[in-house]
Amino acid sequence: MIETVAGARPLSQVPRTLSLRRAAGHLGRVALGLVFLAAGVLKGLDPVEFAHQVAVYGILGERLAAVAAPVLIVLEILLGTALLAGIRPVLSGLVSVLLLLVFIGIEAYGLAAGRTESCGCFGAYVQRTPGEVIGEDLLFVGLAVLAMWGLRDWAGMRPGRASAVLVLAAVLSTAFVIGSPSLPIDGYVTRLRVGRTIAELDLAARMPELREGRHLVVLFDVTDPRAAGVATALDALAALPGAPAVTGLTPSTEQEIDAFRWTAVPAFEIHRIDRDVIKRLYRKLPRFFVVDSGRVTAVYDGAAPEAKDLL
Amino acid sequence: MTPDRAAVRTIRLLPAMALALVVSSPARADALVCRPNYDYSVEVDGSYPKNATLYQAASPGMYYVDVPACKTGLLMDMKARKVVAVPREQIKQVDGGLQLNDSFPPTAAAYALAVDGPFVQFQAEDKKVRILRCLDRPPIVGVVGMDALIADRPEYREGMREYAPRAESIAAMNKYTKKVQIDAFFATWCPHCKEYMPKFLRVISELKNPNIKVNLYGVPKGFAQAPGPWQGRNINSIPTLIVKIDGREITRMGSQPGAVPETELAGIFDAVR
Repeated sequence: MIETVAGARPLSQVPRTLSLRRAAGHLGRVALGLVFLAAGVLKGLDPVEFAHQVAVYGILGERLAAVAAPVLIVLEILLGTALLAGIRPVLSGLVSVLLLLVFIGIEAYGLAAGRTESCGCFGAYVQRTPGEVIGEDLLFVGLAVLAMWGLRDWAGMRPGRASAVLVLAAVLSTAFVIGSPSLPIDGYVTRLRVGRTIAELDLAARMPELREGRHLVVLFDVTDPRAAGVATALDALAALPGAPAVTGLTPSTEQEIDAFRWTAVPAFEIHRIDRDVIKRLYRKLPRFFVVDSGRVTAVYDGAAPEAKDLL
Repeated sequence: MTPDRAAVRTIRLLPAMALALVVSSPARADALVCRPNYDYSVEVDGSYPKNATLYQAASPGMYYVDVPACKTGLLMDMKARKVVAVPREQIKQVDGGLQLNDSFPPTAAAYALAVDGPFVQFQAEDKKVRILRCLDRPPIVGVVGMDALIADRPEYREGMREYAPRAESIAAMNKYTKKVQIDAFFATWCPHCKEYMPKFLRVISELKNPNIKVNLYGVPKGFAQAPGPWQGRNINSIPTLIVKIDGREITRMGSQPGAVPETELAGIFDAVR
C-alpha cells in the first residue's frame, strides 16, 4: 500500500499523458538548448568574422554590427544555458521563438535581396544558405513550442540557483568572445591543417598549379600595413636555392591587389580567392602553409616560416 | 605568434634578403625577357589602341609597355618609380614575348610614373599612358558580335588562343541536327566571365554546325537596374548562357572553377535528342 500526503498522488498515479508531454517538453528544451549553445560557441570562435557577416546583410551598419554580433553570441549562449539548465522553461522557449522569428525575418530579407551565400548562423566555418537556414529555424521553432507545451506546468530550476548559473554563463561567454581571437585554435577550427589536400581546401580548381611541386602559400590581406613586410620576407625566402615557389592568396579586391603590386612590388603572384572560400582557411591573417604535391605539409601562423623550416 | 617575434624573424631574414639582391642584380645586366600580360590594358590618351600591350619581365617590378604610337619602347621600373625610353632596335621578338637589351644609352629619356591606387600612369613623349586592369576598362554593353569583341579585348583573344577544346565534344556538337540558340549574357568587367567566356567563344569558333546560333550580350555594372536585353529574363548572375533547343529554353549554363563548356554543351545536346 502506498502512503500519500493529503491531496497528492503517488508517482504511479500521475496520468501517463502528462509524463509523456513532459518528456517531450524536456526533449525539445534540451535539443534547442544544444542548438543555441553550439551556435553561440561556433560564432564565438571568430566574432570578427561574424560581425562582418552581420554587416554584409545591410540591415545594420558596420559599427552597429560590430556591437550587435558579440551581444548576439552572448545572448545565444545564455539562452542555450537557460534551456539546458531548465531555467524558466516557458520564458526561455518564448524568447527562443522570438529570436528565431527575427532570424527567419533576416534570412527572408536576405533571400529577397538575392543573397545565396552563407549566413554565418553557425559561425564562419559552417556553411548554410538562407533557404536552408529558414527551414532549420522553422524546425527549431517547433522544438521551442514543444518545450513550452510540454513544460508549461514545470517550474524548473530554483530562482536563486538559476540567477547564479546565468551570471556565470554571462561572464564566461563574454570572456570567451573577447578572448577567442587570441586562442591558438586555428588548426582545429579552420579547414587548413597539416595533411589536408588542396581539394579539401576548395583550392584544387581555383589553383591547379598547387597540385604539383612544392609551394609556400601565404594567406594575407594586401591592405594590411604589414603586407609589404610579409612580401619582402617571402621574396627573400623564394630567392634561396631549393626554396619552394611562393604564391599569395587574398580575400582583397583586384584593385587592392593591383595597388599593392605596384607599390610593394612582390616577386610572387597574388590571386584573389572568393571570401566565402578563403575565410574557411583562417581566423587571423597572415597565415602561411606549405603544399607538397597537393597536400598541406606545414602551417605557420602570424609570421613567415624561417629558411631552416623550408630548406 | 606575437608581432615582436615576427620582427625578429624578419631581422633574421635580412642576410637572405641581401643574398637575394646580390643574386638578382646580375640578371638586370642581362637581356630582359618579357611576356605579355593580358590581365592589364594600356590606355593611351583615353583610348585603347589595339596593339598597345603590357609585358611583364621575370625580374620583379619590371614591365615593358609597347605603345605603337610612341617612337620608343617604354620600360617601366616600379622599384625605381620611373619609365625609361628603350630604342626599338634594342627590342627583339622571342618565342612568346620580347627580349630587351637593357644597357641603355645614358642619354635615354626617362619619365616619372605615379601610382594612383590600382592604376599606374605616366606621360611619355606627348602621350598620357595609364596601365589598368582590363576589367576596369569601360565595359562593352549591349549586343556585340564575336569578331568585334575579340578585336576589342586582348584578354578574350588570348584566352581563346590558349584554350584547346576537347575534339570529341566538338565533333559530337557538329553532328547535332536540332536548332540551337544560345544567348550569352556576360560582362567585360567580370572576372568569372574573363575565365569562362574565352573558352566558350573558342568552342563556338570551332563549331561548323549551322544549326547552332549564338547571341552575345554585354551587361553593365548594376545591370539589375539598367534597361537592356537582360531585363525580364531572370538573370541573377553572370555569365548566364541560356540554351534554347527548337525554340524552347532547355537549361542555363554559368561559370564554375574548371568549367569545360564544350563537355557541358555536348552533354545537353546528347540529353535532348
